[in-house]
Amino acid sequence: MSGETAVTDTADKPALFTETPEEREFELRAAVGSYWTGGRLLIGMYTFLFASLAFAYFYLKSNNSGQLWRPKQITAPTGIGWAIFAVVATSALLAIYGQWRMRKDSLLDWEVSGWVAVLGILVAVGLQVWQLTQLPFFPGSSGYASCFIGWAVMNIMMLLGGAYWLETNLALCLRLKRLDAEDGDPSTSSGPSAQLFRANVESCTYFFGFMAVVSGLFWVFFYLI
Amino acid sequence: MTLAAERETEVVYPDPTPPVLGGFQGLPARPGWFSQHLGTAAILAVGGYLLGHWIGNVMTSGYDNVAASGINAVPVTAGLLGGVLGWLLGIGALNYPLAKMAGMEPRPDYESTSWTRYFRYTADHKVVGMQYVIGVLGFLFTGGLLAMAIRTELLSPTSHLFGPGTYISIVSEHGTVMMMMATSVIVGPLGNWLVPLMIGARRTAFPRVEAFSFWIFTAGYLVILSALFYGGFPTGWTGYAPLQTQAPQGMMSYLVGFAVIGVGMMAAGFNLAVTIINYRAPGMTWSRIPIFVWSILATCALLTLATPTLVAAGLFGILDHTAQTAFYVTEHGGSSFLWQNLFWFFGHPEVYIMALPGFGIVAELLPVFTRKPLFAYKVAAAGMIGVALLSFFVWQHHLFQSGINPDMRPLFMLTTELISIPTGFIFLVGMGTLYKAKIRFEVPMLFCLAVFFNFLIGGVTGVFLSDVPVNVTVHGSFFVLAHFHYTIMGGLIFAFFGGLYYWLPKMTGKTMNKKLGKIHFWLMFIFFNLTFFPMFLIGLLGQPRRVFEYAHNLQALNDFASVSSFVLGASFLVFVANFVWSIFIKPTPSPANPWDSLGLEWQTPTPVPYYNFARIPVVLNDPYHYGEENPPAIADLGDGILVAAGASSPASVAEDPRPPAE
Repeated sequence: MSGETAVTDTADKPALFTETPEEREFELRAAVGSYWTGGRLLIGMYTFLFASLAFAYFYLKSNNSGQLWRPKQITAPTGIGWAIFAVVATSALLAIYGQWRMRKDSLLDWEVSGWVAVLGILVAVGLQVWQLTQLPFFPGSSGYASCFIGWAVMNIMMLLGGAYWLETNLALCLRLKRLDAEDGDPSTSSGPSAQLFRANVESCTYFFGFMAVVSGLFWVFFYLI
Repeated sequence: MTLAAERETEVVYPDPTPPVLGGFQGLPARPGWFSQHLGTAAILAVGGYLLGHWIGNVMTSGYDNVAASGINAVPVTAGLLGGVLGWLLGIGALNYPLAKMAGMEPRPDYESTSWTRYFRYTADHKVVGMQYVIGVLGFLFTGGLLAMAIRTELLSPTSHLFGPGTYISIVSEHGTVMMMMATSVIVGPLGNWLVPLMIGARRTAFPRVEAFSFWIFTAGYLVILSALFYGGFPTGWTGYAPLQTQAPQGMMSYLVGFAVIGVGMMAAGFNLAVTIINYRAPGMTWSRIPIFVWSILATCALLTLATPTLVAAGLFGILDHTAQTAFYVTEHGGSSFLWQNLFWFFGHPEVYIMALPGFGIVAELLPVFTRKPLFAYKVAAAGMIGVALLSFFVWQHHLFQSGINPDMRPLFMLTTELISIPTGFIFLVGMGTLYKAKIRFEVPMLFCLAVFFNFLIGGVTGVFLSDVPVNVTVHGSFFVLAHFHYTIMGGLIFAFFGGLYYWLPKMTGKTMNKKLGKIHFWLMFIFFNLTFFPMFLIGLLGQPRRVFEYAHNLQALNDFASVSSFVLGASFLVFVANFVWSIFIKPTPSPANPWDSLGLEWQTPTPVPYYNFARIPVVLNDPYHYGEENPPAIADLGDGILVAAGASSPASVAEDPRPPAE
C-alpha cells in the first residue's frame, strides 16, 4: 500500500505528558462547558423519564379501564402533598437565591442557603416516605393509585439525586476554601478548580429549578385535577 | 509558585513508576491486588445478591401473592438489585461518588501499561473501549449460541428438542441479549475508543461515567442471563403485558436487566455527547467532524432521550411485581397497552440507536477505500440528524394491530414512510462516493459493501411493513423477523465487523490476517443471506414467530435456513480464530497507518498514549480530501507536523495555509 499520508511515527512518542498554557486553558474551557452541557442534558433525560409517567397518567386516565382510573375521586393525603411541594419549591428558591448571592461574592450566603436546601430536600424525601404509609388506597386499586406510587418512587430518586449533587458541591466548597485561600474563595478565585466549582454549582442550581417545576406539575396532576 | 505563574508555565507531569491509577487526594493509593478489580466485583455481587434476597424475604414474609402474578417477586428483585450494587461497589464505581460527598477530588490518572487494567475501573477511554469489545463479543456469542438452539429446534416441525416453555424462554433470552448487545455494539467499543481521538481530544468529558456505563452494562448482562435460572420469561424481547404480569420470576431478570442496561446506555450516551460538544480540538468545526462522530452524536441524542422511557417502563413493571401496583393490569385500572406504548417509544428510536453508528462506520470507511472525498458530507450528517428526530414519531406503527385508534394508522404510516427519506440520503451518499471509484477490496470495505446490499433488502421490506395492509397481513410472522435481522444484523453487525477489521490495527497495534478475514466475510455474507432470505418466504407462507411447531410443508425451507445458520454461526469462529491468532499467537505489528487514512485517530503513535496527543491538534480541514491534486492540510499536530493527503512522510508536509504567526 502506498504511503499517501503524512503521519507521525509510532516510535517518537514523548516520554512525558506535557501541557502548554494554551492547552490547559482549552481543557479548562472544555471542562466548564461540559458541566453546562451535562447539566442541561441531565435535565433532558429526567424530562423524558417524567414525561413517561405523565404519559402513563393521562393514558390510564383517558382509558379508565373498568371505571378504575380513580374510583370515588380518591386522593393521596393532600396536606402532606402540599408540604412536599412547598418544601421542594422553597429549597429550589434557596438554591437559586444562594447562587445569585454567590455571584455577588457572598459565598457564605450560598453555603447557608445550600445546606438548608439540602436539609429541605431530605425533609421532603422523609415526607414522601411518610405519605406512602398514610395512603387511603391500595397501590393496585386503580390507575391513579399506580401512577401515584410510580410518582413517589421517581420523586424520591430525583430529590435524592438533587440533594446529593448540592451536598457534594458544598463539601467541595469547604475543601476549596482551604486550597484557594491565596487567590480568594471559590466564588471569586480564577483558579481552575474554582471555575469548575462555579460551573458545577450553576448546573446544580438549574437542576433544582427543574425539580421545583416537576414537583409543581405533578402536584397539579395528583391533587388538583 | 503563584497561580498566575503556574498558568503561564508548561506543566510536565511525572512519569509514575509503578503506575498509579486513580485514588483520592489525601488518601493513600492501594497497590495491585489490594485494589478493586473484576474479582472483588464478582465477590461483592454474590454477597449483594444474597443480602438483597435475604432482606427481601424478611421484608415480605407472608406476602406471597402479588397482584396478578401469584408469586412473591420481592426477594428476587431485591437480590438482583443488591447484586448490581455489589458489582459496582466491588469494581470501584462507587468510590468517586462516595468520596465526593466528603469533597474529595480524584488524583489525576496516569498511564498504566499493565494488562490488569482491563479488569479494573479505569478512566482511560481506550481501555474502556477494549473492555467493551470483549463485552459485546461475549454478548454476541451468547445470543448466537441461543440462536443455534432455536434453529436446531426448528429443524423439525414435530420432533422436539425442547418443550414449548423452554423454547420460548430461549427465544426471549436470545432476543433480549442480542438487542442489548446491539445498542452498545458500536457506541461502546468503537465510540468510546475512537471518538476522542477523532475529534482531537485527550480525554472524554466524564471518564468515570464512561467506565460506569461499561460495568453496569456487564451487570445488566449477568442479570438478564440469570433469567435462565428462574425459569426464563415467555414474552420475547418485547416483554408484552399481560403475559409480563403473569410470568414467572425470570421476568424480573428481564425488567431489572433492561432497566440496569438502560442506565448504562444513558451514561454512555451522556458522556460521549458532552465530549463531542465540548472537547472538539480547535478548528474542529461542525462541518469538519468525521461523519462517524456525527453518527455517534445522533445516536447519543437517542440514547439519552429515548432510554429514560425504557427505564420508566421497566420501573413500572417492577412496581407491578413488587409493590402490587397495576400499571399494566387492565382489570385493576391499568392497561397492557401502556407497556406497548412506553416500550416502543423507546424501542423504535432504539432501532436507529443500532442503525446509525453502522451508517457512520460505512460512511467513514468508504472515502478511505475509494480514495475519494465523501460525497455530500452535509447531506449525510443531515440524514443522521433527520433519522434521529423522526424516530421519535413512528412508535405507534408497532401497535397497528393492537391498542391504537384506527384513524391514527395513516398518520403513523406516513411518519414511518417519511423516515425512509433521510435514511435514503445516507444510502445515496454511499452510492455517490462509490460512483466511478477505484475501490480497494480490503476486508473492511467488503463488509461495508455488504451493508449496502443487506440494508437495501432490510430497508425496502421495512417500507412494506410500514404500510398498514401489509403490516396487518404479515404481523408477527417470520417476514418481520427476516426484516429486522436484515437491518440489524445485515446492517449493524456487518458494519461492526468492518469497523473492527479497520480499527483493530490501531487499537491493538497488530495486523489481522487478511486471508482469514476474507474467509470470515464470505462465509458470513453468503450464509447470512441464505439463513434470513428464506425467512421472508416462510413468513409470507404463514409461519408465526416464537412458535416451535409449524406446518409440514415449511420444513424444507426451515431446514435450509437452519443449516445455513449453523455455517453462519461457524463463520464467527473464523473471526475468533483470526483474532486470537493475529493478536496473541502470532502477532504481526501493524504499519502506523495501514489504510492511508486521513483521520486524526491514525495520526497518533501506536499504542496510543494515555493522553492521546502530544499536542492538542489544530484542525484545518475535514478529513476527506482523498484523491485531490492539491490537497489542503488536514490538521496541525504541533511541532511542525501537518497531516495532508499526498504527503509521503512527516518531512514532506503540506503547506500551512494559515498566515504566519505574529
